[in-house]
Amino acid sequence: MNTAFRLGAREGWRDFLPMSLGLVPWAVVTGIAMRSIGLSPIEAMGMNLLVYAGTAQLGTLPLIATGAPLWLIFLTAMVLNLRFVIFSAALAPAFHGHAWSRRARASYLLVDGVFAVGSEKMLASDDPEWRWGYFIAPSAWAWCLWQSCVLLGALGAEVIPTDWSLEFMVTIALMLMMIPMARTRPMLVAALAGGLGAVLLRELPLRLGLFAGIAIGIAAGFAAEHWQQRRAGA
Amino acid sequence: MSEGIWLWLTFIAIGSTTLLTRGSFIMLGEKARLPNALHRALRYAPAAALAALVAPDILLDEGSLQPFNPKFAAALVVLFFALRSRNPWLPFIFGMGLLILMRKGFGW
Repeated sequence: MNTAFRLGAREGWRDFLPMSLGLVPWAVVTGIAMRSIGLSPIEAMGMNLLVYAGTAQLGTLPLIATGAPLWLIFLTAMVLNLRFVIFSAALAPAFHGHAWSRRARASYLLVDGVFAVGSEKMLASDDPEWRWGYFIAPSAWAWCLWQSCVLLGALGAEVIPTDWSLEFMVTIALMLMMIPMARTRPMLVAALAGGLGAVLLRELPLRLGLFAGIAIGIAAGFAAEHWQQRRAGA
Repeated sequence: MSEGIWLWLTFIAIGSTTLLTRGSFIMLGEKARLPNALHRALRYAPAAALAALVAPDILLDEGSLQPFNPKFAAALVVLFFALRSRNPWLPFIFGMGLLILMRKGFGW
């Protein structure tokens, strides 16, 4: 371990630490939510290790609970994770020249918080070892914190009575992810159109209404963005 | 719910989307670039998808449109606390609290 790596790791961890505490309620709720649809603690932790993406985990739980077909679950998870394509494209230059195994680890560990806090500094540094330390230390910390707090929730779910409608915690969690996103006008339009579309098209076979709603939402957001830019330009 | 081996296959399928999306450009390296229009369209996917998952759950009651139901009331409480407070626990506590009260207390 060289000095650049250690300096990067220390700085990355320090930058991310305050924000990382925000993961705690999410993780606990995700643990409880996985148990609420009937997963055993082992199944819940298995899902948590294999998926390691809170939005995709929570978003697919209602589909798993109702026995939806695998392709539908896969596509829903894909859509919920699509934002990572953007993060991945933005961060790719920072991993240029790193070994395959490092990039594979980064691909599993890349989470929203570390990207939000650290992408600017990572892209600005020209020392590959410093960049790797700056990324991997907070990412590993986020993983440990997430796994242990999900475990806490998954085990703690035992003591909560089963008739408390706990599955609604999934809906609350999904709402809490959506609300901060909808701060800009086009994003709010995308959310409203997506939600309304899914409700109105619910009769479509194979739960295609979900995807029709998502497509309508993306199109509406895109259109709202264009409209806003035209008005700003005029 | 899916059981046994199917459940684990489902987890692997969901997990593969994590690696495919996060790894996409990191694994490809410098060779690929995300087209600008696609980049802008993709930004709207998570918000649209989350809304498409949430809206049917809170607006429908046994398959038909019924905004006056306990889940919708709880969702309004969640929205209120999410906008008004920075404490991440409050929307869960008050949202679940209202839903449990309405369902168990008033038998709705």
